[in-house]
Amino acid sequence: VNAPVTTKIVDDVALHNAIASAIETIAPSWPLDRMIAVNPYWGRIQQTFEEAAAALSTVAGSPLTLPFEHYREAWRNGEITGLDLQQALTESGTGLTPERLIAALDRKYPAPVPVPLLSDLLDRQRNLQREPSWCDSITHQVSQFCAAYFDRDQANWHPDQAGRLYASWRKSLVLDHSIPLLMQAPYISVRARALARDPVQQIADSLARLELPVRDWAIYLQAVLMRVSGWAAWCAYLRWQARLEDRSDETLVDLLAVRLSWETLLDDGVRCADSPWLAWHGRWQQQERHIEDAATQLHHIWLRAQELSYQRSLVDRLRTAPAVEMIGQPAVQAAFCIDVRSEVLRRQLEARAPDIQTLGFAGFFGLPVSYAPMGTPARRPQLPGLLAPTLDITDSTGNPALDAGITRGRARRLRGMHGWRTFESVPLSTFALVEALGLVYLGKLVKRSLPGNTPFTSNDSLGLDAIQARTVRPVLDEATAGGVAGQANIAAQVLGAMGLKDKFARLVLLIGHGSQNRNNPHRAGLDCGACCGQTGEVNARALAGLLNSPSVRLQLRHSGIQIPDSTHFVAGLHNTTTDEVLLFDLDELPASHAGDAQHINSLLTAAGASARRERAHALGLGALEHKPEPLLRAVRARADDWAQTRPEWGLANNASFIVAPRSRTRGVDLEGRSFLHDYDHRKDADGSLLELIMTAPMIVTNWINMQYFASTVDNKRYGSGNKTLHNVVDGRIGVFEGNGGDLRIGLPWQSLHDGERWLHTPLRLTVVIEAPRAAIDRVIARHENVRQLVHNRWLYLMRLDGDQIEIYRDRRWQLLPR
Amino acid sequence: MMMEFFGGWLLPAIYATGCLLVFGQPRHHWKIAQITAAAALLATLFSVVGAGVWLHFAPAEIDSVGLTLALLVAVLGWVIINYSSRYLNGEPGQLRFVRAMLFTLTAVATLVVSRHLLVIVLAWTGTSLGLHHLLTFYRDRKTAQVVAHKKFLVSRLAELCLVLALLLVYQSTGSLTLDGLNAYLSTLDSLPASLHAAALLFALAAILKTAQLPLHGWLIQVMEAPTPVSALLHAGVVNIGGLVLIRLAELISLAPVTQLVLVVVGSLTAVLAGLVMLTRISIKVRLAWSTCAQMGFMLMEIGLGLYELALLHLVAHSLYKAHAFLSAGETVSFARVNDFTASGRVARSPLWYLGAVAITATLVVGSAAAWELFPPGLVLPPVGLLIVALGLASLLWLEPGYTPGLLIRAVLQVLALTQLYLIWHLLFAGLAPLPAHPAPPLVAYVVLCFGVLYGSQVWLRCYPDGRFARALYPWAYCGFYLDETFTRFTFKIWPVKLSSVQAQTLANRNPVLQGEVS
Repeated sequence: VNAPVTTKIVDDVALHNAIASAIETIAPSWPLDRMIAVNPYWGRIQQTFEEAAAALSTVAGSPLTLPFEHYREAWRNGEITGLDLQQALTESGTGLTPERLIAALDRKYPAPVPVPLLSDLLDRQRNLQREPSWCDSITHQVSQFCAAYFDRDQANWHPDQAGRLYASWRKSLVLDHSIPLLMQAPYISVRARALARDPVQQIADSLARLELPVRDWAIYLQAVLMRVSGWAAWCAYLRWQARLEDRSDETLVDLLAVRLSWETLLDDGVRCADSPWLAWHGRWQQQERHIEDAATQLHHIWLRAQELSYQRSLVDRLRTAPAVEMIGQPAVQAAFCIDVRSEVLRRQLEARAPDIQTLGFAGFFGLPVSYAPMGTPARRPQLPGLLAPTLDITDSTGNPALDAGITRGRARRLRGMHGWRTFESVPLSTFALVEALGLVYLGKLVKRSLPGNTPFTSNDSLGLDAIQARTVRPVLDEATAGGVAGQANIAAQVLGAMGLKDKFARLVLLIGHGSQNRNNPHRAGLDCGACCGQTGEVNARALAGLLNSPSVRLQLRHSGIQIPDSTHFVAGLHNTTTDEVLLFDLDELPASHAGDAQHINSLLTAAGASARRERAHALGLGALEHKPEPLLRAVRARADDWAQTRPEWGLANNASFIVAPRSRTRGVDLEGRSFLHDYDHRKDADGSLLELIMTAPMIVTNWINMQYFASTVDNKRYGSGNKTLHNVVDGRIGVFEGNGGDLRIGLPWQSLHDGERWLHTPLRLTVVIEAPRAAIDRVIARHENVRQLVHNRWLYLMRLDGDQIEIYRDRRWQLLPR
Repeated sequence: MMMEFFGGWLLPAIYATGCLLVFGQPRHHWKIAQITAAAALLATLFSVVGAGVWLHFAPAEIDSVGLTLALLVAVLGWVIINYSSRYLNGEPGQLRFVRAMLFTLTAVATLVVSRHLLVIVLAWTGTSLGLHHLLTFYRDRKTAQVVAHKKFLVSRLAELCLVLALLLVYQSTGSLTLDGLNAYLSTLDSLPASLHAAALLFALAAILKTAQLPLHGWLIQVMEAPTPVSALLHAGVVNIGGLVLIRLAELISLAPVTQLVLVVVGSLTAVLAGLVMLTRISIKVRLAWSTCAQMGFMLMEIGLGLYELALLHLVAHSLYKAHAFLSAGETVSFARVNDFTASGRVARSPLWYLGAVAITATLVVGSAAAWELFPPGLVLPPVGLLIVALGLASLLWLEPGYTPGLLIRAVLQVLALTQLYLIWHLLFAGLAPLPAHPAPPLVAYVVLCFGVLYGSQVWLRCYPDGRFARALYPWAYCGFYLDETFTRFTFKIWPVKLSSVQAQTLANRNPVLQGEVS
């Protein structure tokens, strides 16, 4: 009697699991104004790299390596050696021979094709050379609706945004005749009325109606969701934010229900011999799934060989590095972000002055803050996306009365600007706008077309006049920080994490970074990821202010940190497009330090010139390599050029993360491919700092590394395509490539490719840590994410021990032979 | 005998030279294009100055409309070629791009300076063909092909109208020059039926080529080509219809049916496209709907006989829209500015918005009356002033909250913009053909249209979730279903033939080899 009930319960559990398996595989994508790198495979790290590759090939037709021609090039030019290939083969445990692998390079293999949906089958029966396809029309409908539903910044008139995505979509579909008209399918509106009100119920209904066996549900739902993977990533972002605030968010389920509903809407219910459904079912069952296909395996061996080639050269460099211990007091200490772009500048700076000590640390400088510019309703996080902000930074002149005046004036000016923006957006007003002001754009067109030389300024000073913008400074809000004691506590934590507890130099620079470019929707992707896609200016200035505060320093003495009175902290910003460094708040510097500041400034200028020379070739400015002045002018013009799609190469070609004292790498040319984090295990007896580094910065570097990796190997799904076609959606959520299609996430083609070759070589990150084996093992054992990344080969782990180097392979440490 | 000034012809001559050079000497295509664009701009600037000087010393017949447009094209050509030379760096097919771009610019330049109808029509066709290559720059993009095909059909239809119109003109007047036509028209009191038909056919061609509803879809969907192509299309090509009608002002002024058609189609497009624009969620598509509306507005002005305003609109819109497209990448920065300025909206009653119109109208009409006191012969069309007043009224909405300071600021803005508008009006009145007097029913109709548009805007702001907003939204969101119908129609009667690569979808692929399709 209770058999149907039991079946029902079993099915409910299976349904729940299938939905969860689909939505949990989707990694979030941040909006463009906070574009931070995300590992798009984050939802799959519990699978091995190879399992994930097989699954992605099945459900999305997405490859995890470049095509053979890339490896052929690397093989022919000697980058990949026979040794690398042999070792990759040995590791793979297959019985293949090198000859077979080399022969494969000249063969062409079909790109993977995703499992078919009913809509694909219907498309196969259409003449697509003469008719619109269902797949594209469905993507268009879903994507346009999502854009309208999620929009806050672009349109002025919206569909129902109060209800949930699925409910609003369902309501609108009944009234939307565009697809029925275009596809000549009047039945869509009728069938739309029959859709369930609840998204989960609708998913259950669809699965039942399409008569899929329960064991196929998970893979089917994954395949369905991957058809709108861009918007899925946006929904996953909403879920990520909700989870940071201890809420839950089910929008991904809604999106799944929306896309899946289309499969039901297209089903005519006919099940006879020549029905589309039967044809689809046949194909579905034929699909070979989870079978390690030979071509994929060959690709993976070549990928591994290229990784081995890089690791070999990295290990060689680290082995031959002269260990330079800094003896005595450095004249200047300069902390930079771990970003790979800092490596070049740090190396050049150190080469100029042996008494400079540089440090690598995440560019938010350990401040878990959100920034609220004074007198504005704006607020944004300035910390890694993994964390939720707990502290506030706001602006102040240090004088409350003055602050109040500036706040009032700014609010008034901003209200005025708001009025003008209304005027610009109202249709009727645009006619008057064009006739009164259109000719003024002549000046703007001409100005923008001439080479520019605008200095790098923050755009946070909107609504402030020049004097106000100079006098206000970002400061850590005392109230949220818990008074002076709280501030001192934060200062102690940050200094401890940076390993800066004693031996303070007279001048300590805290240098964040930011990218200067124009007309670039993806500019936040070039800014500091640790500051959530902003420049590091706010964090660096707030921290410098905090550490210069006499009352904080007094408190710090109680925690055993003695900052000498002669030590002064100065914030700076590394302009990664021009390699110039701007120092802030120098007017606060005591006269006694003026000489020091001048000296370091000239060193930074010289180091910047060398760093530019190093980067000139990749920017296509090789001809100016040995002409410092014209080169500087050229990169400045580039930074100010509205038509420039490649202002700089960002973090392209990143490949390793080195967690060790700088003395291990000082003087080594790491080619701007390494993230550098300072860490001295001798000062970290309990391993807590190591734990922090492996669970935060290491994850962040994996996210960056995998973002570049995925955008390169599958730019269609995980990259945003061609910048010349980019069409910003909802003011900031993402871009379309052209008219529409799915939301595009990840990096544009221009950020990875110069037109002739990939400037990013997709390699999994090699993490090199100088720490005792046990300490690393402890972190691996304790943290599931770390364990999954390491065990499932989403990154490689190496260990420096004196002059020996070990690699973590097959869950144990193996000594690398010399 | 007055001398004719031929300075404007330097522009097409230079572009044509550059174009030939690029076809003959393909290695330094960007260098040639940049030098061509710069030389064309300089030469046109000299021509404009030269024309002024010439006029000072000798009575001369100067084609001021042609020279103005030549200067516009020269500026746009220079800006767009410079932009593209860096923007397209690394793209395959840049030579193809440069060739098509220079060819298109040559055609546009010929068109704007020519006073011979046959040359105009041929150049217009040439523009359309050159543009076709630019629109399909990315050959594998399916949507690009479909859209370019739609545009192709619309353009050929327009050219059919033009050919018929030319035949009618030649048959009636025995000439195909504008001067011949105008000389003939000056002898007439009313038009013969054949010229009525010719005027209507010219207007239809313009309507088709300026993307008026319901055949506007191709303009909206051409985001499938690189940004500078969109800029060229929206700033330099789509408005040619307006230019040709302004050239034919004497004919149009005598053809009330044509005027009626232009006013009805133009103002409906302006209103409907304006409403659709409010629902658009991506920047370039929003800009495209805005172009559609602006072109409607321009045709409406032509129908009302306000040629100087139409010419002003054409030139100003070109510059505005070229800038808007080329800087579309700043959209994210603008959204960040929203975070700073979004300080909440005060709910207002519709009466507030009516009050705003009353104040603005007073300011605009007052300014115009003051201006009319000074320069003799300045006549300001009331309907134009009314629309400007309705447009500027939004400056007085003061939605973030009322303070006396904000009100004063807004009033000053209204006054400043009004003076600018009047200055431009005065300037262009000297360039454009003499205005015709619009028929009162047409004026009433236009006032009604824009009154309804203002009312709708206000209603949507007052009651964003009200019945009006909810009921109308699906229609506006779907662009009133006009384009789907047209697309379906083209698929039925003359479908685009896609290659097998273009036709594929994700799963429905020909055996594609990994890495072959970028």
